[in-house]
Amino acid sequence: MSDERLERYAELAVRVGANLQEGQMLFVGSQVEHAPLARALARAAYRAGARYVDVRYFDDHVRKAMIELGPDDALTHTPEWLKALVNAHEGQATIWTTGDPEPELMADLDGERVGRARMKEIAEIMRAQMERREVNWSGLAFPNEGWAKQVFGEPDVERLWEAVAFCTRLDEHDPVDAWREHMARLERRAAKLNELRFDALHYSGPGTDFTVGLLDNARWMSALFRTASGIEYVPNLPTEEIFTTPDCRRADGQIRSTRPLALAGDVVEGLQLTVRDGRIVDVQAEKGADVIRGQLASDERAAYFGELALVDGTSRVGKTNITFVDTLYDENATCHVAYGFGIPEVFEGEPGDGMNVSTVHTDFMVGGPELAIDGVTKDGTRVPILREDAWQLGE
Amino acid sequence: MPAVTSRLASYAELVVRVGANVQPGQTVQVNALVEHAPLVREIAEAAYAAGARFVSAEYVDMHVRRSFIAHAADEDLQHTHPWQLARATSLEGNALIMIAGDPEPHLLEDLDQRRLGRARPVEALDAQLAAQNGRTVNWTIAAYATPGQAEQVFGEPDVERLWEAFERTVRLDEPDPVGAWEAHVEKLRERCRQLNERAFDALHFSGPGTDLRIGLLPDARWSGGGLDTVDGIGHVPNLPTEEVFVAPDWRRTEGTVRSTRPLALGGTIVEGLRMRFENGRAVEVDADVGADAVRGQMEVDDFATALGEVALVDGDSRVGQTGLTFFSTLFDENATCHIAYGAAVTFGIDGIEDLTPDERRARGINVSSIHTDFMIGGPEVAVDGLSPDGTPTPIIRDNVWQLR
Repeated sequence: MSDERLERYAELAVRVGANLQEGQMLFVGSQVEHAPLARALARAAYRAGARYVDVRYFDDHVRKAMIELGPDDALTHTPEWLKALVNAHEGQATIWTTGDPEPELMADLDGERVGRARMKEIAEIMRAQMERREVNWSGLAFPNEGWAKQVFGEPDVERLWEAVAFCTRLDEHDPVDAWREHMARLERRAAKLNELRFDALHYSGPGTDFTVGLLDNARWMSALFRTASGIEYVPNLPTEEIFTTPDCRRADGQIRSTRPLALAGDVVEGLQLTVRDGRIVDVQAEKGADVIRGQLASDERAAYFGELALVDGTSRVGKTNITFVDTLYDENATCHVAYGFGIPEVFEGEPGDGMNVSTVHTDFMVGGPELAIDGVTKDGTRVPILREDAWQLGE
Repeated sequence: MPAVTSRLASYAELVVRVGANVQPGQTVQVNALVEHAPLVREIAEAAYAAGARFVSAEYVDMHVRRSFIAHAADEDLQHTHPWQLARATSLEGNALIMIAGDPEPHLLEDLDQRRLGRARPVEALDAQLAAQNGRTVNWTIAAYATPGQAEQVFGEPDVERLWEAFERTVRLDEPDPVGAWEAHVEKLRERCRQLNERAFDALHFSGPGTDLRIGLLPDARWSGGGLDTVDGIGHVPNLPTEEVFVAPDWRRTEGTVRSTRPLALGGTIVEGLRMRFENGRAVEVDADVGADAVRGQMEVDDFATALGEVALVDGDSRVGQTGLTFFSTLFDENATCHIAYGAAVTFGIDGIEDLTPDERRARGINVSSIHTDFMIGGPEVAVDGLSPDGTPTPIIRDNVWQLR
C-alpha cells in the first residue's frame, strides 16, 4: 500500500467528504483494524486546520464478548460520557470508516441478541443532529485483508485498494475536481425527477412487484448535503445515487434483495420482504433473516420504509462488477431501498407524518439489469425511469 | 495459533480476577493502545465471564497523539473535553484496567519535548487519580509485549522471548496462576504485617558503595500484595508486583547509596548511580552513565532530592530472577529493593486527605512532582531494621528474607 495514496484518500475525505472547516473539531469513528486510515485522517484534518481530532476506536471482538457473555442490559447500555461525546459532535465534523475486517465474526451468535445490541440513545442523539443538520459528516472504507478475502476469496488487499481508488475517483488527476463534476451530474438527475413529480414508483423483477408512494413535499436529491450553517459536504464516498424519502404509509407488495447485505457482523442473503400498508409483515432470507427480524423489532417504526435510491449502470461501483459486501459500496452499485428512519434533508420545511421516524436505517440492494422501475403519475400513467440498468429520462 | 490465544486468555483471566478483581455488576474500563487489542479482547471476555455489566475498551493511538502534539494550539494542549472528564468520574465504584507496553518507544522523540510534557488532559487525569487515591476504583496495570519493547530489552524484536519473561514474572507458568497469586499476595501481606509489628524507627542498607540509613514514620504502614477499596474489594494494582513499600520520613536519610541495576529514565539509561544524603537531601549525585538526567529531574522542584518511597524485594522476586532490564517501571522496580526520590507513596498513611503540601511535609511526608524509583538491592546488600535505640534486626541477608 502506498502511503501517498492513503494520504490522498484521507485528504479527499477531509476536504470533499466532511469538508472540514478551519477551527472545527473532527470526530473519527473507526474499527481498530482501520488505524492506518484513522491516523491519516488525523494528519489531514490538522493540516486542514482542525482544532482537535478525536479518534474513537470500535472493537468488534469486545462487542462480540458483550453479545455472547454480557448481561441482557449490557446490549443497550449507554455510558453517560459517551452521550457527552456524541453531543459534542454538534457543529463539528465527523468521519466514520467501514470495511469489515471480520465479516463473519458474529455469525455464530444469537441473531436476535446481535440485532438488539444497539445504543439506542446514541442513535437518537445522532438522528436528532442529522435532522437539525448540525454536523458535516462523511463515511469511507478502509481496504483490509478480511474484507478483501470476503470480496475476492483471497486477502488481495491491493486489488481491493484499486477498486476503492477507482470508485472514489482517486485515480483521477484531480480527484477534488472530478468529484465536483460527478456531483453536478447527479444533481441534474434529481432535478429531472423533481420536475416530473411522480406520485409513486413501481418496481418489477424476479421476486419483486412493489409499489411505494412518494411525498409531495419530499425532493429527490444527490448526496451533496448542506449543514444548517451552509457547509456543503458529501456524506458517502463513493456516492452514485439519487434518493428520496418515501411516504411511509404507502408501500405494498413483494421485494427481493439482489446483493448480499452486511449487517451487524453478519451477512444477509436472498432477503425477501412482504409489505402491506407500508409495513414489513414478513421476512424471509436464505441467510441471516433473524438479524433483520431483530432489527425490525427494535422499535415500533423500524418496519416502515425510509429511503428509495436510484442508481444506474454508469455507477463506477457497479462497473467494477464487484460485490463489496459493504453497504457504502453496494448501495451505490445499484438501486436500493431502506427500512427505518427517513432522511430529513429531502424535505423543505417540516417533514410531516409521511416521513418515517425510527432509530434504525438499513439499506438493502434491489436493483440490477433485471429490475425495471417506473414512475407512476397521479392518474396512473407509468413512465420508465430505469430499464436494463440504463437511465431513461435523459442526462 | 492456539498456544498464543490460550496464553492471552489466561493472562486476561489473571488481570480480571486477581489484578482488578472485577465484581459482578461493575462496569470495566480498559485503557490501552490500539496495538494492545489482542489482550483487550481477551480481557473483555474474561470481564463479562466475571459478571461485568459492561466493558468499554478505550483505545489510544499514539500516532493521533503525535499529530495532536505537533499541531494543536498551545492553549489546547492541557484542555480536558467534557466527555473525558465524564469518563474519568464514571470510574467511581467501578473497575479500571490499564495496559502498558510501548510499541514505538521512539515515536515522539523528535517532537518539541516541552509541548510533549505539557500535553495532558489535566482535569481528567486528576479525576482519575482522585478515584485511585480515594480507593473508590479497583484498578490494575498489566503489560502487553510488543516488538518495540522487545527490541529495547533484547536488541532484537523477539516478542516471544519477552512474552516468556512476562509469563514467568506474572506466574502464568504455574498450573494454577490464580492460586499462585493468592499465595504470593499472602506472602507479601505477611511481610507487611511483620514489618508493621516491629515498627522499626529506621532501615539500614549496607553493601558495596552503600551505607544508607533511612528514617521511617511512626504512622506510615507498609503496603504490598494489593490494596483494598473503600468497599473492601481487594485488588493488585501492578502485575507483576514483588515489593512491600512505605513512605519514609523525608528528613531523615543519611549516608551513601549505589544503584545495583540500570535505570531507564525518559529515553536515557542511567548506570552506576551514586548518591550521598545529608539531612534527608541528596547532596551529591554521580553515575557511570547518565548522571545529568537524574540531576535534571532533581532540579524540577525543591523536594525532588528527598525520598518518597523505600521498597523491599528479596531474591524470591521473579522479575529479579530474569536478570532483564525491561525499560518499564512496572517490571524494573520489582526486580530488587529500591528507593524513590520525590513524592511519597501515601496508601499506608491515614487521615491526610485534607492536608496541604506544606502540612504533609511538616509530618515528614514528601510532596514533589517527581517520583523516580531506582534499584539498590541484591545479594551483596544487607538490610536491617533499626529500633529507636539503634539495635539492628536483620531483614534481608544474601537476598533472603529474614523476618518470621
